[in-house]
Amino acid sequence: MPNDPNRDVFRAYRPVWVSLRSFACFFLLWWLLYLWNGNPLQLPSPVKVFEALWGLLREGEIAEHASVSTLRMLTALCLAIAVAVPLGFVMGLSRQAQQFIEPLVEILRPISGIAWLPLALFIFGVGDTLPVFIMFYVGFFPIVLNTMAGVKQTDPRLLAAARTMGVGPLPLLFYVLVPSALPTIMVGIRLAFAGSWAAIVAAELIGAPSGLGFAIEWYRQLLMTPKVFAFILAIGVVGYLCDLGLRALQKRLTPWAEGVGVA
Amino acid sequence: MMKHTGNESRTFSIVRNLTLPVLLIVLWHLWALALPTGSPAPTPIKVVQTLGEMLGKGDLVSATVQSLGRVLTGFSVASMLGIVLGLMMGSSQAVRENLDPIIESFRPIAPMAILPIAILLLGTGTPTALAIVAYASFFPVVVNTVHGVSRVDRKLVLAARTMGVSRFAILTRVVLPGALPSILLGTRLAMGVAWTAIIAAELAVGAKSGGGGSGGIGQMMFVFYAYNIDLNAIVVCMTVVGLVALCIDHIFKMLEKRLTPWRQEI
Repeated sequence: MPNDPNRDVFRAYRPVWVSLRSFACFFLLWWLLYLWNGNPLQLPSPVKVFEALWGLLREGEIAEHASVSTLRMLTALCLAIAVAVPLGFVMGLSRQAQQFIEPLVEILRPISGIAWLPLALFIFGVGDTLPVFIMFYVGFFPIVLNTMAGVKQTDPRLLAAARTMGVGPLPLLFYVLVPSALPTIMVGIRLAFAGSWAAIVAAELIGAPSGLGFAIEWYRQLLMTPKVFAFILAIGVVGYLCDLGLRALQKRLTPWAEGVGVA
Repeated sequence: MMKHTGNESRTFSIVRNLTLPVLLIVLWHLWALALPTGSPAPTPIKVVQTLGEMLGKGDLVSATVQSLGRVLTGFSVASMLGIVLGLMMGSSQAVRENLDPIIESFRPIAPMAILPIAILLLGTGTPTALAIVAYASFFPVVVNTVHGVSRVDRKLVLAARTMGVSRFAILTRVVLPGALPSILLGTRLAMGVAWTAIIAAELAVGAKSGGGGSGGIGQMMFVFYAYNIDLNAIVVCMTVVGLVALCIDHIFKMLEKRLTPWRQEI
């Protein structure tokens, strides 16, 4: 019956329904694995994990650790943007500056942020600085490379037109170059976020007295496995929400952008 | 104004390229000269000496090879699975609808976050490292494969179907080559992530199991950090990590050029 209203409702919510069904299958599989494994210290049942999650949420422990981690992440990301975006502009605008700076970037880039952990532990010790440093390092490269690429992609005709009309260097920067490079920069920032959010867990796991990564490891050592799973879920959810936020920002700031980006 | 010949400007650009790295190393060396004797801080000369010693002993090479072996094993398993699953998800809407929510909700969970679970389930040895590597490299492969399949020219598939080509042949002869550039991009990204993940996993396993016998270059770094404190050796390990990452990236880029010469820049 094509005009059956129930059918239309069903169709509209079909994606939701399908997702629910897949999640139900997933949890069923998990539960069966739990029964088969038979060791709740290794693999707790989904019910226990949700109980732990609810408990941690009510006691505010998740919010506490998540806010610490998010604050570190934001600090690192802002620092990375503050350093990398101007540097990227300089590198994009001047070929000589690019020749000066790019080799160093290309030498350091393959050394992953995590490989800096032991050395950084010596320099900064356990604390707030270490995760911020690691995340800054991880976030720096995508932003600088994307900014440079974005500036270079600027349509030369636009620049020439603006110059012909007597636009000064500063307005040229703010009204032509920045809008043209912004979509690519935003892609860089999202990549930087994804990388540094992955690195924060490692950094906090080893070298911080607080934060989501620390909490995971702490409860593992106490063998409170349901809480470990709950915190892992929290990491996924916070990461997902931050990416949603960045995506919204991207749409807001650069509504003209299509899928662009490098690296 | 002096007129630069092509040769001269080339020399200039090489000089410019080298300026900053050389300058930094010189500054590092000067800073090291001012250090009190017996300080553990790394200096360029000691780093080179340590590199020589470690190469001579052969443990650096064997640790790197061990890590690389783990990365390759985990990566191969994950990329096989990722490509097969990605092809299925890309070519069948039913499969995609059902698997997408699960894959998308696991994607934001960093490989390092599941390390504690892996340690609980698999112990602190090679299986844990393999699991982390496989988990890390699965997502780039599967996501890029699905993307690649979605970009295969619909008309080619329809044409093949009109000519009575079997479903399996369409998949292997039309869809797979069409999606190959994207798949290769995915595997390159995956390999990069996997190499980062193995270092992290070995480091953390070393850190949390009290230097248990898992080996690998990450573990080596941890031992130099925690037991026989040797910052020079840590810098050597970092350099090796960077060099290996660079080589991996180059090999995969070469493969991309070889296997998909028709591809445009992505």
